Amino acid sequence: MKLRTCIAVALMCVLSLSAETPRGTVPRATADRYPVHAAQSGVTIGVTLLTPDQVRNAFASDVNRCCLVVEVALYPPKDSTVGVSLNNFVLRVTGTEVAAKPSGAKVLAAKLQKKAASPQDRDISISPTTSVGYESGGYDPITGQRRGGGIYTSTGVGVGVGSSRPQPGSTDVDRNTMELELGEKALPEGEASAPVAGYLYFALPKTKDKKATHQLEYTVNGNKIVLTLP
Amino acid sequence: MASNLPYTKLIVRSVSLGVLALMKFMKTVALGFSLFIFLVIFFVPGSALGQSSSSEARQTNSTEANQNTQAVTDAKPNTQNDEHRHRYHVRLGTIGVGGAYSRFSGPFFYNPFWYGFYPYRLGYSPFFYDPFFYSPFYAPGYFGGFAYGESKGEVKLSGAPKTAEVYLDGAYAGTADKLKSIWLDPGAYDLSVSTPGGSPFHQRIYVLSGKSLKIAAKLPQQETKQKTTEEKQ
Repeated sequence: MKLRTCIAVALMCVLSLSAETPRGTVPRATADRYPVHAAQSGVTIGVTLLTPDQVRNAFASDVNRCCLVVEVALYPPKDSTVGVSLNNFVLRVTGTEVAAKPSGAKVLAAKLQKKAASPQDRDISISPTTSVGYESGGYDPITGQRRGGGIYTSTGVGVGVGSSRPQPGSTDVDRNTMELELGEKALPEGEASAPVAGYLYFALPKTKDKKATHQLEYTVNGNKIVLTLP
Repeated sequence: MASNLPYTKLIVRSVSLGVLALMKFMKTVALGFSLFIFLVIFFVPGSALGQSSSSEARQTNSTEANQNTQAVTDAKPNTQNDEHRHRYHVRLGTIGVGGAYSRFSGPFFYNPFWYGFYPYRLGYSPFFYDPFFYSPFYAPGYFGGFAYGESKGEVKLSGAPKTAEVYLDGAYAGTADKLKSIWLDPGAYDLSVSTPGGSPFHQRIYVLSGKSLKIAAKLPQQETKQKTTEEKQ
């Protein structure tokens, strides 16, 4: 019985390890399908810079708050492999010295995790009440005098103070989920014998110049490719 | 000794009969006393109840009762209507109209002890999740259902046919028409939508607390149908 249990547990562990989730995105048929593409040393690269709307549609996490997202696809030469590493990429603001290397999913998730609401941040509900009524006439129980009826009015305000509530996407579970999403959609690192694609996240400061363009530098086999992104 | 026995019995009987008679007498006395008190309260002038509620008592009046009545009638502008001494105060209170609607959207409890396990029962719950076939863990929404929760995130499903079957992490969740809004715990899920005759729609979704995620599950069969209709046009 114990042997069976051990085998079952071991089998489950093996299955869970083997059931690896796919990483990156699906590369397009050819590099020509990307707005910007180039080839160097047999390796073809296709690149596109995602607009804020595209980022919003592609991610559940609010990635626009922290960084620029570039989709990169690499096509290795036939019967050969290409080494994919995040260190081979640099994004630069054209004409400036501002540049950044891709950030990891863990760092970005920590950045994106909103600060939990402070205890003083509470929901306060104010409910004003007003009543108008009519009272018929009668006799005053104390003086015995007749008291005329009429319309009476009253107003009041009820104030309710609720407990503090965390902001959306601020819990630790959310951070883990964001890390998982960013990691799974990122460009997978390692040796690739088939086309691979994925996102690169660059934590660049936002420029006020709307016409500013970016350049992606990719180093392959010691050769640098510079791709100007629109 | 034997000759004394009838006398003893006689004595006991006499005593018991005496006690019973005494009790009956006391009962009669108590009833009479109660009746006396009742009559005093209602018919003797000057008693509290006689003054306030019995108009007959006022008519038979004592001098004291007359004085009291006079004191009150002096204060009244209209002395003819004694019935008006009752004080009626009608206040319009708050009238509230409300309604409530509750819907149990979660899976109902399935007790295999009562109904038997899946292979031995034909009509089992669609929410029943068999960990032997899918996963050692329970399916998403198994305990809390897909109802709103403060720490949950919303998945809005659209574009799928009403009868399409929705699966979360391989477990059946329901039909698309009943799962337009799904509240799930934060995390990553594999969403599948399929119809009996068509290709399934797969997407990995990431749910964050307090956020809403819109999924347009357009099945390939639908897309092809749309294309054919466009071509015909």
